[in-house]
Amino acid sequence: MPAAPITPDSVIELLTAEHILEPQEPITPDTDLFTLGLDSMAMMQLLLLIEERFQLTVNPAEMTRDRFASAGALATFLGEKRRRAA
Amino acid sequence: MPTLPATTVDFFLAGLEAFMVRSGQGMHWGVTQLWLAGRPDAAALQSAWEQMHAQQPLLGARLRRQWRGWRLAWETSGPIPAPPIIWHPPQPLPPDDGVLQERLQGRTPAGGLTSPLLLEVFPWGDGGAHRVLLTWRHALMDGTGVNLLLTRLAGGGGGDAGPPPVVVPPREGLGRLFKKARPLLRRMHTMTLDGCLSAWSKGAPQAGAPAFRLIELTLEQSHAAVMRLRETCGDFMQMPFYAAIAARALRRLHERRGWHSPVLHLHLPCQVRGRSREHLFGNHMGALPLFLDAGALGTPDQAIKHVLEQYREALKQGMAQASEALMALSTHLPVTWFMPVVRWTNRGQICSLFHSHTGTFLAGCTTFAGAAVQNVVTIPSVSTPPGLGIFFSDFAGRITVTLAWREGGVTAAEEKLLCGQILTDLTGASAA
Repeated sequence: MPAAPITPDSVIELLTAEHILEPQEPITPDTDLFTLGLDSMAMMQLLLLIEERFQLTVNPAEMTRDRFASAGALATFLGEKRRRAA
Repeated sequence: MPTLPATTVDFFLAGLEAFMVRSGQGMHWGVTQLWLAGRPDAAALQSAWEQMHAQQPLLGARLRRQWRGWRLAWETSGPIPAPPIIWHPPQPLPPDDGVLQERLQGRTPAGGLTSPLLLEVFPWGDGGAHRVLLTWRHALMDGTGVNLLLTRLAGGGGGDAGPPPVVVPPREGLGRLFKKARPLLRRMHTMTLDGCLSAWSKGAPQAGAPAFRLIELTLEQSHAAVMRLRETCGDFMQMPFYAAIAARALRRLHERRGWHSPVLHLHLPCQVRGRSREHLFGNHMGALPLFLDAGALGTPDQAIKHVLEQYREALKQGMAQASEALMALSTHLPVTWFMPVVRWTNRGQICSLFHSHTGTFLAGCTTFAGAAVQNVVTIPSVSTPPGLGIFFSDFAGRITVTLAWREGGVTAAEEKLLCGQILTDLTGASAA
């Protein structure tokens, strides 16, 4: 299966469709993900889904606060990672 | 009589408490301590305390089996009056371990606790310092709820509209639940055959009074630990990092005793999906079972790598859902049967170790009822088996480790060994 395109919307879809986060309000590209309860378990689930959908492996040590602050920031980080891998 | 839905975790804790009571360990209490630099505002604290009791009918609720549908629910007759906040006379020193031990048994000098919550204030020393002790019943709430409760008390409790609406968890058929639980049942069967020990073995003392030890890291030590955490697990994977350190400590204990446990079974807390984090009462945390190969815990780095791999595998295999399904299946048993069945299937054990990283209590709060907060630490009474709990928390950049066991379950020399090992693993420096 080809890797899915990485956009803020595809990251939001990943977070909500798989119930990693259960927000009361819709998530936007700038929503602060930590206030929505992004804990260790949710993070590991997110890494597994990133691998499956985007075919990218993220090392836990790469998971910094700025890269995972919002769906927009995460899409930027993953996009750069894919470009480097290409 | 009005009822509120119970979760499978409520059932697990009710089962665990029933087992503790029947084995002479008493009820399952926790104590949260706040170190305050000044005197909390008595009027604000009283007002928030009363308001919270008036708005939370679950405080007077009992877990009951409903006649129709055999479903567990919290049955409540409405709010209960707030018990008085106890202000103790000033003392030269803060409350000692004996006071905490008494509260962990649900007792005060005046007798046994009749309410699920007790709030006490201890002024001490000449500098205006105070200790606040919140004693709480674990069958009714967990660390997430305690944090919410403290946050409300800290801010005076104003403007609170009461608990959010309760979401009734969807009910699944037994066949579907069994299918979901099967991978975990298989794994547990293998683990039992392999041999899996905790800090307790058959015939060892079980009913000792709750005992504990706090390891308060300095700012420098905490900084070193956080650096190690970031290098290996990034900014978010605190749970696997601390779980690896806790598992290594238990392995060290086994080595000292000459015990061989090829597998360690950790119960990591995980948020029950679909349950609002805004509920003060009722339990939020399910268990994510992790099966560790003791041989892969040789060094801290190896252990962290192994725990991360196992954490990943457990989630990939749906172990959190399997665990929840297994608990949902168990709710069909009488509460008093649950733990004996678990122990029977696990050769007397529940798991190898209770562990959690509770993060920061009162995150973002620098004051509690107007007094500056210096640290917040929770000490739970731990059941035997597993006989040992290792918990990590942080406040204002300082990490505190809580070790909890039952008197007679861990010797003084073993306690020293555990503390030394944990400190060395956290900071990379040998303990003095």
